[in-house]
Amino acid sequence: MHIPDGFLTAGVALPLDAVSAAGVLYAARRLKVEAAGRMIPVMGMLSAFVFAAQMLNFPVLGGTSGHLVGGALLAILLGPTAGFMAMAAVVIAQALFLQDGGLIALGANLFNIGAVAIWGGYLVYRLAAGIDPGPRRAAAAAFAAGWFSLEFSALSCALQLALSGVVPLSVGVPAMCGYHALIGLAEGALTAGILSIVRGVRPDLAAQARSLTGLADWVGAMVLVALPYVLLILAGSSDLPDPLESLLQASGLRAAGPGSQELLSPERMRGYALSATVIVIVIALIFLGRSLLREKRERP
Amino acid sequence: MKHSFIDRYAELDSPLHALEARTKIVGFTALTAAVLMLPPAAGTSFLLFFFLVAILMGVSQIPLEFIAGRTLMILPFVLLAAIAAPWRNDIGFAWFSALLTRSLLCLVFLVLLTNTTRFAELLRGLRRMGVPRVLVLNLGFLYRYIFVLADEIMRMRLASECRRVGRLPLRRELSLLTSMLGTLLLRSFERAERMYQAMLSRGYSADFPVAAPRRFSWRDLVFLFLVALFLYTIGRTSA
Repeated sequence: MHIPDGFLTAGVALPLDAVSAAGVLYAARRLKVEAAGRMIPVMGMLSAFVFAAQMLNFPVLGGTSGHLVGGALLAILLGPTAGFMAMAAVVIAQALFLQDGGLIALGANLFNIGAVAIWGGYLVYRLAAGIDPGPRRAAAAAFAAGWFSLEFSALSCALQLALSGVVPLSVGVPAMCGYHALIGLAEGALTAGILSIVRGVRPDLAAQARSLTGLADWVGAMVLVALPYVLLILAGSSDLPDPLESLLQASGLRAAGPGSQELLSPERMRGYALSATVIVIVIALIFLGRSLLREKRERP
Repeated sequence: MKHSFIDRYAELDSPLHALEARTKIVGFTALTAAVLMLPPAAGTSFLLFFFLVAILMGVSQIPLEFIAGRTLMILPFVLLAAIAAPWRNDIGFAWFSALLTRSLLCLVFLVLLTNTTRFAELLRGLRRMGVPRVLVLNLGFLYRYIFVLADEIMRMRLASECRRVGRLPLRRELSLLTSMLGTLLLRSFERAERMYQAMLSRGYSADFPVAAPRRFSWRDLVFLFLVALFLYTIGRTSA
């Protein structure tokens, strides 16, 4: 589900970069207050755990293999904010070490595998588990959280690919969601099983998530989970034959017009391309310059 | 046990390795952005990018087969796009090859960035460019723990493979995996707590110092200037 660079157009990838950067900054700000010391090594260890869990595969249909994705697990163990931060580290490490993902596509991957899976999985878990769940109910809720977290991110990923014009909605959504509905069964079983082991030995760990929630988490989770579905419904309810067409109109990326087969006309595309490149380069240079200046000031 | 799947060639000594982390982050991000913006028909620009990649790969001294292996990562998405192709009659071979070329170029840039920079320096560069401390520390811990965990997982896998023949039914396979991962999680959690106590008693101050970090020098300016010149040329040829 890690989208490599090149599959998303700039109009999709760059806004998601901005959204994910804002999400990381927001989470970091909240964690500064919440995570006094002890929390950061634990987050680091759990990130390493999720990263390492990829090495243990199980066979899926047709010779492919699946592994634990871990979004729901992190959300339940750490709560959404710290869980997102831990997952962000995993996604960045996957991009840097395994080239699973890309530089400009990092925002989209952080959004799908980090934000959507974490907040979505957390929402499902809290709704299903209630206040103080017994072991069976907790396991069932964890299973649901694992399954839905994959499903949410698969849908979000398929939508981004469709908006970029790479894979049309009518193919992307069934393919991504169908495949992950299958893989999700394993993810749910693993999440539930691992959590019940943790609950049996260290009940204090499994109870941690409850203490770290506020209204903002709930609202954020709802928005993140609902947004792709709203887009999908908008696309489906329109009377245009191609859902992608109507989705593009609904999201304002393209004006209505029959017969325009290209996603964006070449001239406009070139204009966007040049301005977006310039923006990226200028932002990068500003960051570099700022840090160089600060360094100079620090060193007398 | 030995692990070599993480920043394996970062300790080589080449002009690209000698650059400061921030220079490479900025340079490669700009190049990646530029590749993404190229219109599919910009054949000469893609050729220029391939020349650049060839030069950079040669300079970096990273083995070619390693880079080639890493580029396989885009396969699942290429497959998905290929599955979708019959549903869209407006896209042809040119579109598909542009997509492939673009993602290949970007992947090679990413491989070059991470394999010419030690991870500690990369983190230092990210921190100095304003990435939140919590995230950078988290990545630092991840990097330090991953080798320990990988060891543990390899031992567990070896132990389980010694005690069975072939594959089990999926249900059994999953329950085995669950107990392995559950045990690993508990062990690693308790190890994290112990390690944190040990770190505190040795004067840990929420920072990972880097031994002899590279400084921003004239080389970095030259590299950035060359990248800018290249991008300017691309802009001229594709416009």
